[in-house]
This record gives sequence, structure tokens and C-alpha cells, in this order.
Amino acid sequence: MKLSKESILGLIALGTFLFMALLAPGFLSSNNINSMMFQIPEFGLLAIAMMVVIVTGGIDLSITYIAALAGVGAALMLTNGFGIFPAIIMAILFALACGAFNGFIVSKIGVSPILVTLGTMVLFEGVILAITKGSSISGFPDAYSLIGNGYYLGLVPFSIVIFAIFAIITGLLLSKTSWGRRVYMYGSNEVATLYSGVKNSKVLMKVYLYAALLAAISAIIMTSRYNSVKVDLGSSYLLQSVAAAVLGGTNIHGGYGKVIGTIYAVFVFQFIRNGLNLLGFHSSLVDVVIGSILILVLTMNFFSDKFKKKQEQKNASQAA
Amino acid sequence: MKKLVFSLLMLMFLVGILAGCVSENTSGSSEEGSNDSGGEESSDDGEMNIAVVPKLVGIPYFNASETGAVQAGEELGVNVEYTGPTQADASAQVKVIEDLVSKNSDVIAVAPNDPASVEPVLKKAKDQGIKVMDWDTPADKELVDLSVKQVDDEEFGRHMAGKLVEAMGTEEGKIAILTGGLSAANLNLWIDAAKKEFDENYPDIEIVSEKIPTDEKQQVAYQKTLDLLKSYPDLKGVLAVSTPAPLGAAQAVQEKGLQDEVSVVGSALPNDSEPFLEDGSLDTAVLWNPKKLGYLTAALGKMLAGGEMPEDGQEIENVGEISVKDDGKTVIMGPPADFTKENAGDFDF
Repeated sequence: MKLSKESILGLIALGTFLFMALLAPGFLSSNNINSMMFQIPEFGLLAIAMMVVIVTGGIDLSITYIAALAGVGAALMLTNGFGIFPAIIMAILFALACGAFNGFIVSKIGVSPILVTLGTMVLFEGVILAITKGSSISGFPDAYSLIGNGYYLGLVPFSIVIFAIFAIITGLLLSKTSWGRRVYMYGSNEVATLYSGVKNSKVLMKVYLYAALLAAISAIIMTSRYNSVKVDLGSSYLLQSVAAAVLGGTNIHGGYGKVIGTIYAVFVFQFIRNGLNLLGFHSSLVDVVIGSILILVLTMNFFSDKFKKKQEQKNASQAA
Repeated sequence: MKKLVFSLLMLMFLVGILAGCVSENTSGSSEEGSNDSGGEESSDDGEMNIAVVPKLVGIPYFNASETGAVQAGEELGVNVEYTGPTQADASAQVKVIEDLVSKNSDVIAVAPNDPASVEPVLKKAKDQGIKVMDWDTPADKELVDLSVKQVDDEEFGRHMAGKLVEAMGTEEGKIAILTGGLSAANLNLWIDAAKKEFDENYPDIEIVSEKIPTDEKQQVAYQKTLDLLKSYPDLKGVLAVSTPAPLGAAQAVQEKGLQDEVSVVGSALPNDSEPFLEDGSLDTAVLWNPKKLGYLTAALGKMLAGGEMPEDGQEIENVGEISVKDDGKTVIMGPPADFTKENAGDFDF
């Protein structure tokens, strides 16, 4: 039986879950399961956003600051007496503006994404610092905090429902629409894509806009969950989201990557982090474990790819 | 593009429908279930679990408080878990606290990175019967059962002012005040107290300008002090508030060779200040002992778990006499600690 990269990772996720369930006391308690479900969406959305960008062979280092800036947008509206709906719209608008900026420089001017987003990361951070003066904005209405802290139908966290919806939408957009196919095409060979009559810049622009949109949704969940926003909101997720996307099987050179793989990777991270916390491991050790697993899986992927290529070559030469 | 717009609209619509069904709690049954399992677990091991959460782990200041907290756990026979995020990110800190809530700690003591962001999770902890307290940096006052402060702000400011006058050796002359940032609440309280001390007890001391912000950076403090030394050649002293500022000021004084003419006093950690203390470019560093703060936090956590509240003037072993403010739940560890040339080498933070 042949298993895809994603299914193997899914089994690893299941394995870590069972492992932690056996080892960590209270891992399966309904309290803990609930708190894990509250922790997954904000990170999962950022990881998916990062994945979409990486599929084009780029990277978005400004993603957490886009999220923070979107959060500031929502916070400004809320603290100035506007309702929840305008606040959400404002968050999305702020993020889309950032995404458009990134997208414009990457796609129209053609600067490499890592440089552009490194620059905009500092730029957005500066903008937030200028707006907030470095302190946090807080004090949102109770109804707003339900987005990140409430339960849907009294059963599952509302935020995980939002996460599921966006995960499905992203999956559909990538696999069923022409834009999605072009994203993969661009990622594997941009020149060939261009000569197939695809407007590369348009595809790229939409990629950065979409990543920014996901960042905005993540920001709404975060600000609602923490009831405040600060310049470094979610900044610890930046490299983690790259790690999750890559662990999820996304090719860092572009051209390949699946939503489900990224989600499994987010689960693996979540189970390990939570389990080790319950076991009372020191936080720095948790980082060591996660780093090791990442290296291990990537090395395994590398060798299995190499092995596959060799086999294919063998088959080809045999056929000839 | 049309498709994208369409799907977005659909989404908005969907979210709108969903939003109607969101409630604050899970339905009754699961809630009860969680409470039950919680009760069992905490009765299982019988030992008290006290969780102490710093702003981040792996920096000298919080390593020192870890040593104190762990020591307290061993001496007092309670289980102290000292855990925090590896970055000073509010969301990472909230996750750590959430896991601690799942674990059913008896007491959670937090040094919040952002007081507002820990509010929801502390509320959740309280709902589950966990006692919550803050240490190092105050959280929402209404929410916590106990608040541990390292020093009294008023006393700290006045103490620094006194130390500066002592270092200058004269009760008259020009001084300047450096601060970390203009909007930092605790720094402002200290500076106001110091100014009051100058006004009341040393009226001949002249403060040359408004407090000067240094962006919490040693480099900026260094630059601003150089400027000050140039504009006011007869400057006698610099009071630098925020931990990098005294180092920057001392660096400038050291470079200009003005150790004997200009006195620098400020709030800094002893290990950082040692090179400047040695040649007198920094006269005294005033702060508190983070190890003792960690010890006190764990010790008070134990009291709180046992249903006791600390009293004003109570003697805590290894810490000293503490004072309790009028609200009954704000504990002040004690007087500030002075780090000088003679003792700075004895500390490991």
C-alpha cells in the first residue's frame, strides 16, 4: 500500500496524540481537549497562510505583523465605540492593504519575497508602534470576546469552526479553481507558467492578499481571545508557521503543498507542546523536542524523495 | 476574482448565521464532566501545586527568580512549577497558562507580559477554583487574589534620589533625569517620587530639563548623556530609571573620564553594572533581589492555597518582613536593594 506524505503525517499526528494520551496526565480530560481546540485556530490560520505563500516559492515574514496591524485596526474601531462588524471589516481592510503592498512589490517590481517581507515586517512593526506607542490596546465589548472564547451550539469552540471553514475554503480554492492550479504551476516553474499565457503578477498578488486575509481572521480570533492587542501579538508564531507548513510537506522551493498536511503538522505541534507542558517539561526543552522532530521529518522526506527519484530513473532506464 | 468575491460574501453570510449560536459556555453536561475530573486529579496526588509563570524564561532576571521559587518549593514542601514562554509574547504566555489550568494547579502566579491579555484566561482559572495571583508586574486588580510587588514605588523613587545626593556628596547642583519611556507607568511613579524627594529635602538641587526618554536602549541613553554633558558642563548627577539607562549613562561618563565629577545612580541589575561600578562611573545600582521575589511568590502561593492571607509586618523566612497595603491583597516585598562596587560580584543575575 502506498501512502502519501500527508497520510503518513496524519498517522504521526495520531501517534503523538495516543502517545501523549498514555503519558501525560489529564491530556484527555475534556478541559484540556477544549483548551487545545481554543489554541489551534489562531496558529493554524497563520500556518495555512504561510503555506499558500510558500507554494509559490516565496515566504511571508511579515505575516504576524500583518495580523498584529489588523488587530490594531479592529481594536481602534472597538475602543472608539463602533460595533463588532465594522471592527472585523476594518481588520480585514488593514490586512488587505498590507497584503496588497507586499503583493505589489513582489509581483510588479519583482523583488524577492524574502527581502520584501523582511522589509515590510519592520515597516508594519513601526506603523503599529507609531499607532499604539508600544502599549497595548484593550477593553473590548463582551460580545467580541465570544469570537475567540465562545462555544458554537455549546459544543465546540467557535474559533475552531471558523478555522475549519477557512481550511476547507483554502483547500477548495487551491485544488478546484484555476487560480489554485496557477499557484502550483507558478511555484514549480514560473517561466513556463508565463509562457502558458498566465498573468503571473495577478496570481501572485492574489496569493499575498489571501495570506493577509487569513492573517486578519487569525488576528480577530487572537484579539478576541486575549482581549487586547500589542505590537508583538502572535510574533512567536512567525517561524513556527513556516515550520508547520514545511513539516506539512510543503516544498520550500514551491510547487507543492496541501492544506491537510499543514493542518496535521499544526496538530503534531499542538499535541507535543501541550503534552510536554502537562508533563512539566521546561519550555526550552519543548522547543528542543519540536526542533528535533522537524529536522527528523525533513531529513526523512529528503531521503524518501531521493529514493523515489532513483527508482524512477531505474524504471526509465529499464523501459529504454 | 468574481469567484473570490462570491465565496467571501458566502463566508460573511455563513459567519453571520453561525454567530447567532455562539454561547459563553459549553452545554451543561460537559461542564459538569470537566469539574468532576478536575476534583479527582487534585485529590489524587494530595500535594499542593503552585505554578509560577514569568514573562519569559531564559534571561538572567527570571532565572534568578526561578532559583528562588524552586528553593521555596523544596523548603516548604510544595510542588513549584516554574514555566513560561521562551519569548515575551503575550499569546505564548496565555498558552502556557491555559495548559496550567488544564493541569489543575492549585495556585497560578503570573508576571503578565500584557496585563489585559491574561484577563480571560485568569477568569477561566478562577472559574475552575484555581487561586490566581500576580507577581513582578500587576495584572487586573479585581481579578487576582493576591498581588506581589517587589518594592513600594514611592519608597523606591525617594531611595534613588537619596542615593544620588549621597553619591554627589553635596546637596546642591544640577542633575538630569533619564527614563526608559515617557509612558511607562511604573517609571513615571518612580520619577515623580524622586522629584518629590528633591523638592522636599534637597531644595538646592536643580533638575536641568524634563525627563529624557531613552527608548529602553543603552545606546540611546549613552548618546543622550553625551549631549547632556556637552550642554551642561557643570552637571553633577544623572538619575537613570529603567534597566538599560544607567548603563548607557555610565558608559558616557566613563568615556569622558568624568567619574569623579558626575555621579550616576539608577535602576540596573548588578551583573550588568559591575564593569561600571568598578571604576565609579556608576555609583550605585538600585533594584530588588529577583531571587527573593521568586521565593516570596512561591511562599505566598502556598499560604493562599491553604486559605491564609498574609498580614502586614509578617516575617517570611529567607525574605524578611513584608508589608501589606490597605486593600489587603497587595504585598510589598521590602525595601530596595543597593548594588555597589563592594557587593555586585556576589549576585548571579
